[in-house]
Amino acid sequence: MNADNRKGELVELKNQLRQLAGSRAPGVEDVKRELYKKVISYMTIGIDVSSLFGEMVMCSATSDLVLKKMCYLYVGNYARGHPDLALLTINFLQKDCHDEDPMIRGLALRSLCSLRVMNLVEYLVGPLHAGLKDSNGYVRTVAAMGVLKLYHISPSSCTDNDFPATLKTQLLQDSDAQVVANCLCALQEIYLAEASRSDGSLKDRDSLYTTSVIYLLINRIKDFSEWAQCLVLDVVSKYVSSNPEESFKMMDILEDRLQHANSAVVLATIKVFLHLTLSMADIHQQVYERIKAPLLTLVSSGSVEQSYAVISHLHLLVLRAPTVFASEYKHFYCRYSDPSYVKKLKLEMLTAIANESNTYEIVTELCEYAANVDVAIARESIRAVGKIALQQYDVNAIVDRLLQFLEMEKDYVTAETLVLVKDLLRKYPQWSHDCIAVVGNVSSKNVTEPKAKAALVWMLGEYAYDMLDAPYVLEGFVENWAEEESAEVRLELLTAVTKIFFKRPPESIKMLGAALAAGLADAHQDVHDRALLYYRLLQQGVEIAERVVNPPKQAVSVFADTQSSEIRDRIFDEFNSLAVVYQEPSYMFLDKEHRGPIELTEDTGILPMDSKLSDDVLPSQHVEANDNDLLLSASEREESRGGVGNGSYAYSGPDLSGFDTPSPAAPSNNASLSSTSHTSPAIDDLLGLTFPAAPVPTSPSLKLKPKPLLDPATFQRKWSQLTIASTLDHTLSQPAALPSPQPLLRHMQAHSIECMASGGQAPKFKFFFFAQVADSPPSTGFFLVEFVVNTSSGISQAKVKADNADLVTAFGNLFVSTLRKFGSS
Amino acid sequence: MPVAASAVYFLNLRGDVLINRMYRDDVGGNMVDAFRTNIMQSKELGTCPVRQIGGCSFLYMRISNVYIVIVVSSNANAACAFKFVVEAVALFKSYFGGAFDEDAIRNNFVLIYELLDEIMDFGYPQNLSPEILKLYITQEGVGSPFSSKPQDIRTPANATLQVTGAVGWRREGLVYKKNEVFLDIVESVNLLMSQKGTTLQCDVTGKILMKCFLSGMPDLKLGLNDKIGLEKEAEAKARPSRSGKTIELDDVTFHQCVNLTRFNTEKTVSFVPPDGEFELMKYRITDGINLPFRVLPSIKELGRTRMEVNVKVKSVFGARMFALGVVVKVPVPKHTAKANFQVTSGRAKYNAALDCLVWKVRKFPGQTELTMSAEVELISTMEEKKSWTRPPIQMEFQVPMFTASGLRVRFLKVWEKSGYNTVEWVRYITKAGSYEIRC
Repeated sequence: MNADNRKGELVELKNQLRQLAGSRAPGVEDVKRELYKKVISYMTIGIDVSSLFGEMVMCSATSDLVLKKMCYLYVGNYARGHPDLALLTINFLQKDCHDEDPMIRGLALRSLCSLRVMNLVEYLVGPLHAGLKDSNGYVRTVAAMGVLKLYHISPSSCTDNDFPATLKTQLLQDSDAQVVANCLCALQEIYLAEASRSDGSLKDRDSLYTTSVIYLLINRIKDFSEWAQCLVLDVVSKYVSSNPEESFKMMDILEDRLQHANSAVVLATIKVFLHLTLSMADIHQQVYERIKAPLLTLVSSGSVEQSYAVISHLHLLVLRAPTVFASEYKHFYCRYSDPSYVKKLKLEMLTAIANESNTYEIVTELCEYAANVDVAIARESIRAVGKIALQQYDVNAIVDRLLQFLEMEKDYVTAETLVLVKDLLRKYPQWSHDCIAVVGNVSSKNVTEPKAKAALVWMLGEYAYDMLDAPYVLEGFVENWAEEESAEVRLELLTAVTKIFFKRPPESIKMLGAALAAGLADAHQDVHDRALLYYRLLQQGVEIAERVVNPPKQAVSVFADTQSSEIRDRIFDEFNSLAVVYQEPSYMFLDKEHRGPIELTEDTGILPMDSKLSDDVLPSQHVEANDNDLLLSASEREESRGGVGNGSYAYSGPDLSGFDTPSPAAPSNNASLSSTSHTSPAIDDLLGLTFPAAPVPTSPSLKLKPKPLLDPATFQRKWSQLTIASTLDHTLSQPAALPSPQPLLRHMQAHSIECMASGGQAPKFKFFFFAQVADSPPSTGFFLVEFVVNTSSGISQAKVKADNADLVTAFGNLFVSTLRKFGSS
Repeated sequence: MPVAASAVYFLNLRGDVLINRMYRDDVGGNMVDAFRTNIMQSKELGTCPVRQIGGCSFLYMRISNVYIVIVVSSNANAACAFKFVVEAVALFKSYFGGAFDEDAIRNNFVLIYELLDEIMDFGYPQNLSPEILKLYITQEGVGSPFSSKPQDIRTPANATLQVTGAVGWRREGLVYKKNEVFLDIVESVNLLMSQKGTTLQCDVTGKILMKCFLSGMPDLKLGLNDKIGLEKEAEAKARPSRSGKTIELDDVTFHQCVNLTRFNTEKTVSFVPPDGEFELMKYRITDGINLPFRVLPSIKELGRTRMEVNVKVKSVFGARMFALGVVVKVPVPKHTAKANFQVTSGRAKYNAALDCLVWKVRKFPGQTELTMSAEVELISTMEEKKSWTRPPIQMEFQVPMFTASGLRVRFLKVWEKSGYNTVEWVRYITKAGSYEIRC
């Protein structure tokens, strides 16, 4: 209904426009304006009004500037989809390029370059040349940008016409600063793209960073607009100064930029200063002192978003030079009204700058936040306190504070604190006495988070001598084994129970048996393996086991940094960009292969451009991208494997035969450990009785149609409509058996899974498979699979989409088992 | 690379597109949907103004009831992008004359498209100066609908030169009958005080706002009682600086019209002002701040259902001055049932939406002490032990003719070659920034 309405409206608009086209009646322009406005507003909200193209163009022969602009906007938006019709506009645009009014010339030239139609490129070259030589600066600024636009449409026609060289001359000679800035913009982009297009040499681009160009830019810095200054300063920061004197001179000239009201200009200047002094350590330090005040001002002015951008940079600098900012710690105190993303950065900065003189006050402040309404920030601040403690300042007082947290009796506070106390004990075992007394009072019922539970369990196992009821608390945990969801806790529990057994055997032997049995029956691979390991170690003898499981520990001296200094340096190189905000180097978020698992195109259901189904070889780069996704999302893979590959645990069955024969080593053990002889058989008994068979995945039986039929168009349509129902990972047992895709295709075909398309180059291949449920109607019950395999490593990943989502799991199992058969047959 | 925005969107709070301007082809057309589904409709909204979805970065700001989103596919300069949005909004406001909200955008969308076309080309910011854009984008806001005549774009011969030109902020040939300059020093005091009454953090961010209605190309010189400026002056005149308070500015930033070289050598603020309103300078001060108000709270929890709140506020500025619009917000627990008040001045009530006792005093004289005491009744709840995390007391106020920093204008000289007389108006005002007292 709605759509019909709209269609009607469009038809009406079309008629009205057509009537007005030739009319020269007075007042007609006003009517046109109203109609144009309507069209533009439809365009804005995403209604396709491209059907009016012809009429719009016909009406555009007008002297009314506003009408012209609206028409250009419309044309720019739709020309790409209608290249033939766009040709109609060329005529009047070209005419306007010769208008006597420079405004109209500029406007027409900009619109001409914004058409973005390949086969109209020839019409661009002439006006662009003329534009660059125009007497008016406005037209030249537009033309300089136009060259860049032309390059994006057709690189070759841009370079063939020597536009880059023209821009370069213009850059050095033009009197208008904005023209210079636009030339610089265009050249940077063009040279960079050219380098990656041809031999990868950045020779051209580096020619921008030579002394003559840089000096010219610096000397004119005041002529540029604030935006152009950002650009110029960015270019200057790439210049490598030849000697200290030169650097000082440059900084002298640029120093007043630090007082500019535009935060982006200030940041850009800071970047120049920092980069110029990199090789001079003491001057570099002075630069930090110099930029401190402007940065702190910027933080407290402007909108929240602006100050966030600045704080991100401040954060980076604080982490690089904490001592410089140590005296300014009060600036990093959180305001109640600060948004949490700002608070988080402030907390990290407070942690970084803590030293002997300010630790007490910083920790006092952080403790205030522990009672914060915002739970995430409260947690973060407790963690910060712990981190400061690990930096070895004023540990004594901090430990007291942490223990006070435990008395606050808030679940999340307790949870975070437990984790911290654990880390502290690993570093400062001497505090165990104080800590354990308090930790012993924590009711295990109040501890629900996996990390905290694991920490508590660890402490119970480690300090079994100091905590009287440790075995009984652990016993409670073991009894609830089945309800414990986190594998992390179960793993920690196994270790703790084993350790406590070495220390207080009579109280814990029963529990150990129960824990090992439960561990062996565990569906989680790691838990199972650890239980098995401990069991076998115990069979070898309690002493040997103790040597492995509970050796004397060295206190941890330094905890590993989460971010390597190399990465931090790379971020520093990209100062004043998104890299700093994201806290990762730009290649991590710009290069396709490093992107996270979400691809926009899939979200919105549009097939990515480069995975168009065709029989051509798919670009190997895309395959690579998927492969890397795989590596990044290791945790997800783990989960999906847990769901799919339950069968793989079956191999542990035969291993069990070893359990029945008691180890000959056991009796020969030291007699003083009387418990040994008792325990081993006891464990064996327990295990022999209670070990259940590995769970068998129960899947509804699924039969596939032997020869399913699906044409590529339907496949593509389905692929773009459906969402990914399941992602399967599998490692081929004999990857080398796949020198080319053919054998795999035949194998899958034999199991009623057909191939739609395949491609790639060794060692990476990509396939699109499809299958259909037996006895389903012709166009339903399909499964679509995108399958990527690396033949050298054998790692593969399949993304499954299905008409019937209920059958996905069954199909997944079938698919994986078919793959498994491929290796073995 | 400064910004290289691929697209700019304006959305209302429901996610409807108000303005949609694509600058580059390197992002798909479905970016609005991505923003809506992945940011607006998720819990992520408000967690971070820069977000990355599928290789594109979204930088967004909310301004009144509109979201402005910049989409980039490169490693853009975030500070520049946000500044661009702020400046663009200021530009739109100067065109619509005031508010920037959904209605204003809907009513002026053609104008906005026109401006977006000029202020950004292929994703790079171009010229955002309202002074210059108004020379050739002449469409008026809704106030006066289009005149059908093409506007006189060709008026001043040098207009187009200025479009890109050097003295971007002022055009020649301005004439006023009465030459006037208005100068406002606006300071906001930020305070964070602990419950024991010690100042944890305190600073003043100030700005000097000017409104100039001056003919020709005047040269202005501003003298403040700041330390560096005074010392420099004393040095030049070879006599000791006059006694009296001198202010140490931690950091200063200036409008682009200020001659920074002269500031650095002579320590005077000299400039050729833009026509009309602008922000001349911004500064920050951390030392020697006169707090206009002291707050002495006492909050007692009497049993589980009653609380006693007592807040004493003392004004410590000159007795002849007064503060306007004083608001004290005292947070109370969520399960507050009602509150009975006693105030020595003003009005107080319990605001359930804010979980606060709000005490308003319209006019607060200097050197006086006012108190509010309240008995708060709480609904008894089953949840025990959930101790209430007390947010800080917050305060709002405006104190005219008072500067928390003590900054004063010593002179403001106007010099123009025609030698006309000018009238100068100077005002001071101190406002509360984030004035928080923990309790």
